[in-house]
Amino acid sequence: MKFNRRQTLAGLTALLGTAAMPRLSFAQDAGVLRIGALNPITGAGAPYGSGMQKMILQAAKLVNDAGGAGGRTLEVFAEDTQTQPQAAVLAAKKLIEVNKVNAILGTWSSGISLAVMPLTNEAGIPLFNTSGAPALSVAPANEKHLGYRFQATNDRFGRAFAKIAEKEGFKRPATMAFNNASGIGNTEGFRKAWEANGGEVVASVVYEPSQPSYRAELQKVLDAKPDVIIMGSYLADTTVILREWYQTGEENKWIIPAWAANPKLAEALGPDVVEGIIAVDSISNEGSPAFAAYDAAYQEALGQPGLSNVYAAMTWDMVIVLALAMEAAGPGADIAAITAKLHEVAGPDGTKVSTFAEGKEALKSGPINYEGASSVLDFDEFGDVTPDFSASVFTGGEAKRNYIVKI
Amino acid sequence: MTGFAELLFSGLMSGLIIGLAGLAVTLVFGIARFSNAATGDTMTLGAYGALVGSAFTGSVILGSLIGLAAGALASVVSYLLVFRPLQGRSPISSLLASIGLAFFIRAIIGLVFGHDQNVFQLDIVRPIKFAGIRIQPNDLKFAAVAISTLAVVFIILHLTPIGRRMRAVADNPLLAKVSGISPRPVMLALWSIAGAVSAIAGIILGMKTVVSPESGWEMLLPAFAAAVLGGIGHPIGAIVGGLLIGVAQELATPFVGFTYKIAVSFIVLLLVLLIRPKGLFGRSEGVR
Repeated sequence: MKFNRRQTLAGLTALLGTAAMPRLSFAQDAGVLRIGALNPITGAGAPYGSGMQKMILQAAKLVNDAGGAGGRTLEVFAEDTQTQPQAAVLAAKKLIEVNKVNAILGTWSSGISLAVMPLTNEAGIPLFNTSGAPALSVAPANEKHLGYRFQATNDRFGRAFAKIAEKEGFKRPATMAFNNASGIGNTEGFRKAWEANGGEVVASVVYEPSQPSYRAELQKVLDAKPDVIIMGSYLADTTVILREWYQTGEENKWIIPAWAANPKLAEALGPDVVEGIIAVDSISNEGSPAFAAYDAAYQEALGQPGLSNVYAAMTWDMVIVLALAMEAAGPGADIAAITAKLHEVAGPDGTKVSTFAEGKEALKSGPINYEGASSVLDFDEFGDVTPDFSASVFTGGEAKRNYIVKI
Repeated sequence: MTGFAELLFSGLMSGLIIGLAGLAVTLVFGIARFSNAATGDTMTLGAYGALVGSAFTGSVILGSLIGLAAGALASVVSYLLVFRPLQGRSPISSLLASIGLAFFIRAIIGLVFGHDQNVFQLDIVRPIKFAGIRIQPNDLKFAAVAISTLAVVFIILHLTPIGRRMRAVADNPLLAKVSGISPRPVMLALWSIAGAVSAIAGIILGMKTVVSPESGWEMLLPAFAAAVLGGIGHPIGAIVGGLLIGVAQELATPFVGFTYKIAVSFIVLLLVLLIRPKGLFGRSEGVR
């Protein structure tokens, strides 16, 4: 029997394939906990995604260098969501089925977190996200209480918007929302808080993405003569809307989430158009020792200040909180037992700690309270946190922080 | 009433962009006989070409001409490397290849230019008021460019020898061949025209909105809809189809709201196809 080159190659490949298979499916060694870093490396979240991923890797390295958590080290598998739900679902499937991860960390944008959560629920593993949609708090999305949110909910953003609008003395607000859970969550959160205070919203519009023009949408809002327009939007649509608004010559003010009203917006439109826009952001736990540790790691990995990426501070905290929960749950604990410890290690009671090493040490003598880099990180019953917010005003093309709002 | 007129105008502007993209789709379909899913990404490529061109030359007009050339060139190259080898196979092969090509172009653009949005630095100007209607001077310029593009395409198709040959091939490829029309120059002309038209659509879209690697791809569905609505393979039909879709979307908004305006354009498409399955201008295709 003779083999030609092609048959030999085919045979060898098949052999290699079968040899690799058991490794893929059964290589679940006891000393490692696998986590998936599922971040928006490309697409609309790209300005934040790489930093988010690098901070997961960096924090995991820190945990491993400190001798691991609960007798185990962390192994990170990184995937790109492309900031698209379809791609994110495929990547999550791969992480769960092929890499057998025990937790997925760092999904950005609500559409993606909402799409991935059924998969993580099905697999019985937690999903740590940085998205705002109110729907992520409750059933059906969070029926198993496996979703943990490190970002403020859009509802909380809306409350912050209402506080700021009140402080600035606006009387006739209108809203414009990108048609998704996050955009509408922002403006509806605002409406609820504003109307609870006896105010009235004079007009509201929900618009579709990727339109060649938003003039009709804008016109409807402007016809109500608002003194401020509250946005639930993203960068690209905000760019088009503000350009068209400026061209109408109207002079109302704007309150816009900072993920849309960022330096890129000023760069695209020029200082005159963005002058006076109020950009609202949830802020990291600046000034805390945990933030200082994160900031140093971010500077080293990306050469930029940690302040430039609030989401990276969140992913940093995700790894540390997970590792602390592993440590608290003890060696050999399964992911359900680890998840059950999350509230405990982050919650308001216990010794305050700011790093993993500190927490690991303090856990020997009693309960701990990890005060994170992104917020003080006290999860409520829905797994949500309440950070503070900043209001920045654009002057001369640059956003300068004016004041901080607590809700 | 002025509100209505402004909606109409804004619908016409959106419609012109959709129509130009639809024209590129329909030209390729009429002659090469498949739906080119890379049309959207050729638009994006043209817009990026124009961005780079404007940065180099300092002039948006010169830059746009460079973008136009980039679109035409990319289109011809994709014909030579991808679609010519697939000629004679089922149109499905070419369609699938064009989807692959679309991903390829988008990925390259993402790699080279990143995924952040880019904008054309155009002067922001106040609108002129005409009978109470606010009109953007830039929109008038875009409309002029779009209409002259259409004029040039129709002049090429109807008044030049190569255009006559293109129409002959579109009409009956076999008969054209036996009449001694060589397919190669026809195909090269077709692909460069389709590429240039896509690029112009992409550049205008980019100037009105923002340029990102996904911007053209997101226009593909409306472009296909315009081509189908007008009767696929029919150039005037694509333009009329695009305008109809744009105007229907905008004019419906006072009644159905902004969230459902896209659905309205597809309802129009459905209705037209129910009454005239071959599209507005299409001829019914008999057995070949």
